Amino acid sequence: MRERIRNMVDFFVIQKAQRAYRQPEEDAYRLAREFVAAQMPAMERSAMRLRNVLDREEPVVFPDERIAFTRTVQTIPTIFLEEELEEIEQNHWIHERGDVCNISVDYTRLLDTGLVPKREELRERMRQWECEGNEEKARYCSLQIGILDSVLALAARYREKAAQVGNETVARTLARVPAYAPENFLEALQMFRILHFVMWCGGNYHNTVGRFDQYMYPYFRRDMDKEIYDEESALELLEEFFLSFNRDSDLYPGMQQGDNGQSMVLGGLNEDGSDSYNPLSELCLHASLELKLIDPKINLRVHKNTPIETYVLGSQLTKQGLGFPQYSNDDIVIPGLLNLGYEKKDAYNYVVAACWEFIIPGTAMDIPNIGALSFTQAVSEAVEQKLSQCGDFEAFYEQVRRNIYSQADGLCEKVKNVYLFPAPFVSLMMEGCVEKATDISEGCKYNNYGFHGTGIATAADSLAAVKKNVFEEKKVDAEALKRALEKDFEGDEQLCNLLRWEAPKMGNNDDYVDEFACRLLDDFADALAGRRNDRGGIFRAGTGSAMYYVWHTKDVPATPDGRHRGEGLGCNYSPSLFSRCSGPVSIMQSFSKPDLRRFINGGPLTLELHDTVFRTAESVEKVATLVKSFMDMGGHQLQLNAVNRDTMLDAQRHPENYRNLIVRVWGWSGYFIELDKEYQDHIICRMELAV
Amino acid sequence: MQTGVIFDCKEFAVFDGPGMRQTYFLKGCPLRCSWCHNPEGLCRQPQMMVSRASCTNCGRCRQVCTHETCVVCGACVSVCPLHLRRISGETVTAEELAARIRKNGDYYARYGGGVTFSGGEPLMQTDFLLEVLQRLRGLHRAIETSGYCEPAAFDMVLAELEYVMMDIKMFDGTLHRRYTGVDNEWILQNARRLCEGDRPFVIRIPVIPGVNDTEDNYRKTAAFLAGANALLRVEFLPYHKTAGAKYSMMGMKYRPDFDPEKSIFISQKIFEEYGIRSEVL
Repeated sequence: MRERIRNMVDFFVIQKAQRAYRQPEEDAYRLAREFVAAQMPAMERSAMRLRNVLDREEPVVFPDERIAFTRTVQTIPTIFLEEELEEIEQNHWIHERGDVCNISVDYTRLLDTGLVPKREELRERMRQWECEGNEEKARYCSLQIGILDSVLALAARYREKAAQVGNETVARTLARVPAYAPENFLEALQMFRILHFVMWCGGNYHNTVGRFDQYMYPYFRRDMDKEIYDEESALELLEEFFLSFNRDSDLYPGMQQGDNGQSMVLGGLNEDGSDSYNPLSELCLHASLELKLIDPKINLRVHKNTPIETYVLGSQLTKQGLGFPQYSNDDIVIPGLLNLGYEKKDAYNYVVAACWEFIIPGTAMDIPNIGALSFTQAVSEAVEQKLSQCGDFEAFYEQVRRNIYSQADGLCEKVKNVYLFPAPFVSLMMEGCVEKATDISEGCKYNNYGFHGTGIATAADSLAAVKKNVFEEKKVDAEALKRALEKDFEGDEQLCNLLRWEAPKMGNNDDYVDEFACRLLDDFADALAGRRNDRGGIFRAGTGSAMYYVWHTKDVPATPDGRHRGEGLGCNYSPSLFSRCSGPVSIMQSFSKPDLRRFINGGPLTLELHDTVFRTAESVEKVATLVKSFMDMGGHQLQLNAVNRDTMLDAQRHPENYRNLIVRVWGWSGYFIELDKEYQDHIICRMELAV
Repeated sequence: MQTGVIFDCKEFAVFDGPGMRQTYFLKGCPLRCSWCHNPEGLCRQPQMMVSRASCTNCGRCRQVCTHETCVVCGACVSVCPLHLRRISGETVTAEELAARIRKNGDYYARYGGGVTFSGGEPLMQTDFLLEVLQRLRGLHRAIETSGYCEPAAFDMVLAELEYVMMDIKMFDGTLHRRYTGVDNEWILQNARRLCEGDRPFVIRIPVIPGVNDTEDNYRKTAAFLAGANALLRVEFLPYHKTAGAKYSMMGMKYRPDFDPEKSIFISQKIFEEYGIRSEVL
C-alpha cells in the first residue's frame, strides 16, 4: 500500500479527523414542524428535506484528496412528526424507518448523462406534463429539478473550495462532474461519490453499490488503455475511492455500527454464459485486501466455471477476518429468480441488498426483509397444541406444517398497504420513474416482498429429537416432554441431556435430521407460492435471519432439541449453537440438501474457520476449494469467517455463545471453551501476533 | 476381520497431505515423546476424557459412579449437563471404518485429496490399518507416522499407500531413545526404503527447543535424505506451548523434559545445501 493511502487511512479511519468539521447535531423534527405548519404534502417534504440538507452542507476539501465530499451535517431531519407517523401507521405498514432503503439503484441513469442534461430532460418533461394538464406530475418534475439545482450548487461550492485550498485535481474534476457525464475513471468515481452522498442526505439508507465492476468498467478500461494509470496507480485510486465509504459511515443508520448496506457485487454470469469478472473486479478484491476496512462489503458472484484463482483471492480476503467476501452461486440464484418470474436480463443482473437478499438493480422496489417466519416457533407451538394427541410422527408434523402456513398467512396479512416515504432523487435512477414521473416509493417493475426464515437448524433438530425419542425409541412420553419444555427442563436435566447431546443434529450430513430441514423449508416456500401482495408482487422465502434470530429467541420456550428457554438460535443459515458438527464438509453437505433455488430471498450458510487454516498458501487454496465445493453441491450463498482474537476474548466472557467455536491449537482442533484458561490465553496471545 | 481403535476424525484437514482430506486418528503409540500434543493417542485402550475448564463441580458424575477406579463404563458421560465428559477411543471393524471413509470418498477425491491416517501411531495397529487400506483401494491414501514399525510390516503398508508423511525426530539413536523411549533403527531403515522407492513422501521434523534443533541433527538428516527421488520436501513443525492442552482432560500431567520457553533454531539453508526443499509449518 502506498504511503499516501496509509496516511489517508490513518486520517479518516483511525484519527477520524474529518469529524472535526461536522456541524452540531440538531433537532430532527424542526423541519417537520415547518412542514406541518405549511400543510406540505409528503412528496414536497421529501424533496425539501433533501434540499435543506444539501444547502446546509459546508464543503470540506482536504489538500491531498482526489475524491471529495465529506458529510458535515450530522442530523438528517425527519419529514413527519411522531404523531403524524402514528396516524399513518393506523392504515399502513411502515417498513423499518419508512424511507426507501435496501434497494440498488442504476447509477448509470445519472452517470451516463450528467445532471445538467438530466435537468434539461426533466424541464422538457415538465412542460409536456403541463401541456397535458397533469399538474401533479409537472410538480413532481419541478421538485426533482430543484433537487438537482441543490446538488449542482453544492458541487459548485465544493469546486470553489477546492480551488481555494489549492486542490487542483478536485477543482478540475468538479468542473466536469456531476454537471456532465464523466469522461474518465476519476470523474466517474467522484460522480458516484456525489450520487451516493446525496442519497444518504435524503434519508435513503442501505444504499447498495451494486455491480460496480460492470458499470464502472468502461471508464476504467478507457483510462487503462490510454495508459493514464498502470495497475499500481489504478489500485491506489480505487483504494482512495473505497476509503470514501468509511468517511461518514458512523452517520448512516443501521441495526449495528457497520450495518450500512454498502454492498458491492463483483463478477457474475452473463446471459450468454460468459463471465463478467474483469480486471476491475480483480482490482477491487486487491484494494479490499490491502485496506482491510469493513466497507465496501465485497460480494462475489460465482458459478460452476469460476476459476479456483478467484476463490483463492476471495479466501485471502476472508483471511483478514472481516467476514467477507460473501459468495453467491449464480447457478442456483439465477434459476431461482427466473422461477419467481424475474425477467431473464434482470435475473442475470442480480445483486445483493444490504445483507444478502437477491435484488435487481434499477428495477426492483422489492422489500426483501419485510418480515420473518420462525421455524422454531412453528415446532414449539405444535408440541403444545398437538404432540400428546398424535398417534404417529406424521400427524405431529402435519401440525408443524399447519403452523408454518398460518404464520405465512399472518405475515402476508400484516404487510398490507405499505407506505414508503417519497424518494424523488432515488427515483431518477430507477426504471420508468422519470418517464412516467412516478416516485419509486410507489413501486417499480418488481414489487416483491421477502421473508426470512429463522432457526431452521433448531427446528429440524427438534423434529428429529421428537421423532427419535417420542415415537421411535419411546424414551420419553409426549406429555412428559411437553411438561419438561414448559418448565424449561427444571427437574428433568437428564432428559435435557439426552435431547441436547444424543439426538441427531443438522450439520453432520445425517439424512435423518437434514430431511426435516428440507421439508420445513419446502413448506415455507409452498406456503408463500402463488400469493400476491397488494403491490402486485409476490412473496419470497429466504434462509436468512438478520436480527430476527435474536428477536425470535425471546418468544420461544425450551425446545425439544434440548435448547433452554432464552438460548440463542443459529444466525442465518447455520447449525444450532450447541450442536457438535463433524466439520465444515459435513455442515456444507447438510446445508446443501434443500433445493435452495426456492429460497431466493437469500441467507448465507455462515461458517467459522479458525484463522490458522489460512496459514500457508496451500491451505488458503484448500479453503478456496472448500468454498467451491459448497457451490458445486448446490449451495446458494456462503459467508465464511476467519475467527480471530476478539471472538475468542468474547468467548471467554460468554462461553455459552461459542460452543461451536473450533480452534486449531496446533496439529489438532479443539473446542475453544473446553481448553484450560492458560491455553485459551495462549492462543489469544498468538492471535495478537498474527493480526 | 480386524478390529481397531480410533479416537478422532477430522474433516478438512489442511496440513495432512495433498488436496482436500479427511484424517482418521488411530489410538495407541509405542513412543513417549514428552512434547506429544495428542496424549489421548498414546494408550490403545479407550479412556475417559474430561474437559475441566468449564466444570461447575455439580457432582452428578460422582453420584452415578459405582467403580473404585474408572473402567470407562460411560455411566457418567450422559449425566453431565455441560457434556464435558466423553470416551476417547472407539472400537471399530476395518469394514465399518472403510465404509465411513468411503461415504465421503468421492467428495475428497473430486478435490484432489483423499484420506490420511494419523494417530497415535497408525502403524501400531498394522493389521487393522492394512485391512482398512486394502478396502480403500482407488482412494488417495496417506499416512502420518513416526515410522516406528518393523520394516517388513512397513513394506506391506507402504504398498497400500499413495503418500507418506513421516517423522525423523532425531538422527542420533541415543538421543532418540532418551526423548522418545524407542530406538530409531527401524525408523531410519524405513526412511531408507522411502528414499529408495518411488512413493511420494514428506519428512517432518518436530522442532523441539534444546532437543533436536541443532545444526548437527539437521545436517545428518539432510545428508541421509540427499538424493532421494520421491522426497517432496522436509517440513519443520515448530513446537508450540499449546501441546500440553489436552493432558488435564486425560487426567495426566504435562511434564516436558526440555525448556518449552526456549526459542527454537530452524535452518532451511542446511537442507538447501543438500538440494532439499523445506517448509516451516
